Amino acid sequence: MPKIAIDPITRIEGHLRIEAQVEGGKVRDAWAAGTMFRGIEKILIGRDPRDAWAFTQRI
Amino acid sequence: MRGVENALGITIPDNARLIRNLITGIQYVQDHVIHFYHLHALDWVDIVSALKADPKKTAALAQSISDWPLSSTDYFRGVQSKLKAFVEAGQLGIFANAYWGHPAYQLPPEANLMAVAHYLEALDWQRDVIKIHAILGSKNPHAQTYLVGGMATAIDPNSENALNAGSLAHMQKLARKAKEFVEKVYIPDLLAVASFYKEWAGYGEGVGNYLAYGEFPNDNISNTDNLFLPRGIIMGKDLSKVHPVQQEKIAEYVTHSWYEYDEGDGVAKHPWEGQTNYRYTGPKPPYKFLDTSKKYSWLKAPRYDGMPMEVGPLARMLVAYASGHKRVRELVHLVLGKLGVGPEALFSTLGRTAARGIETLVVAEQLPVWLGQLADNIKRGDLRIHDSSRWDPKDWPREAKGYGWHEAPRGALGHWVRIKDGKIVNYQCVVPSTWNGSPRDAKGQRGPYEAALLGTPVRDPEKPVEILRTIHSFDPCMACAVHVLDAQGREYVRIKVV
Repeated sequence: MPKIAIDPITRIEGHLRIEAQVEGGKVRDAWAAGTMFRGIEKILIGRDPRDAWAFTQRI
Repeated sequence: MRGVENALGITIPDNARLIRNLITGIQYVQDHVIHFYHLHALDWVDIVSALKADPKKTAALAQSISDWPLSSTDYFRGVQSKLKAFVEAGQLGIFANAYWGHPAYQLPPEANLMAVAHYLEALDWQRDVIKIHAILGSKNPHAQTYLVGGMATAIDPNSENALNAGSLAHMQKLARKAKEFVEKVYIPDLLAVASFYKEWAGYGEGVGNYLAYGEFPNDNISNTDNLFLPRGIIMGKDLSKVHPVQQEKIAEYVTHSWYEYDEGDGVAKHPWEGQTNYRYTGPKPPYKFLDTSKKYSWLKAPRYDGMPMEVGPLARMLVAYASGHKRVRELVHLVLGKLGVGPEALFSTLGRTAARGIETLVVAEQLPVWLGQLADNIKRGDLRIHDSSRWDPKDWPREAKGYGWHEAPRGALGHWVRIKDGKIVNYQCVVPSTWNGSPRDAKGQRGPYEAALLGTPVRDPEKPVEILRTIHSFDPCMACAVHVLDAQGREYVRIKVV
């Protein structure tokens, strides 16, 4: 999501992965992983700053 | 937008401020209601159980909590028949893929039926009220009328094709409709559902640190401190103190993220110096598990002064509460009082979900105010919508840098930009779900999702609806693959969260 996808404004679908360790009916440890690369920062390099909003709005 | 305006020293006209507040405001209201009914409620509401409800008792329940007109026995009987037809045809459609019948569902059938009815009503309602966004932004989502220096929304009282008295009156009507549904349906439902799940005030706490950039400027100065929802930081759940937000204290680690920094994995970089050098070192898909001792996420790990921070409606409401925001305090006290729980209940899965509802009402009440201010400006002959004095790059400094903050519905969103010779040379976005969904940092500190899951009960590891409750309470709004391991690391099951 984030690096990727989750952007509240534009609601792009992304991918979040949770790994959780369960013991005694409870979560003992957990890991959250974004599983898609976003890359909007790369896309913006060299562009006109007046256009940035139209790109970043999508995330 | 604000980042570039900040870098170039632009102040937007008052009408542009109001239109941005309105676009963001109606987005909060629509988004939060959709989140509650369509993304989160099914973690608490058992759709299939609604078939067993007595429509008469459902009507009595609905009438006891609200004077919303759609609450007759016949109305609920009709909703139930529609649902029955779905289930009998084996076509649950939008209600497929859930853990119906799971023992963690605790609502009586009548409450389930009421929630199903409102789920369906909310679908129609949201389509209507978001027209405010479409009128001001040309469409929804992805408003098209933003412009560095203001907005491109035309204002002309004498044109059919621009903002005029007619479109303002139309938006006032939609704003009333938005507020009425929140007051009479969303908030009563939230309280009714929450009253059956009070133990969830004891789960899902998270990191206990909260960051809000604040939103809805009360004046048109860029990066203003005069905000309707205030800016601030709460550390360690201490509501007696609101700390200022200092942008230089924000930095991102990539210790457990698939990126490389020139200085290595031990350092955190401020976004102006940020690097996006991706290097995937995880397993080749399909794989069973990630090696979480190494890099395991495409999210960087943002930290404030070295600490993980939760962002979103709970963070905003806590900062507003602790800053003395009158309406927020009233509503927080009302909700806590109705549920019979203390302020400590806020730091939880239930608190996060309740804070979203409180915020929705606070913002829905404000929409008519901003619309009124916009109408007043236009009546006075103030039609300015854009400051073009710094539009031409020849008027820019050779080098500039700026940052812009916004509170998206899901939380604090920051953009940092460096401009040289009229072009972007670096741009870094630190978005809400990077804060909340962050992996561990160089010190091994967990991110908010990771911390919030600790201690969450899991009755049936094959159907971990409890994990979904906590993760969804953050509003990640995405497909998410949840893996449950037993203590020996064996995989129970792989679940696609929808």
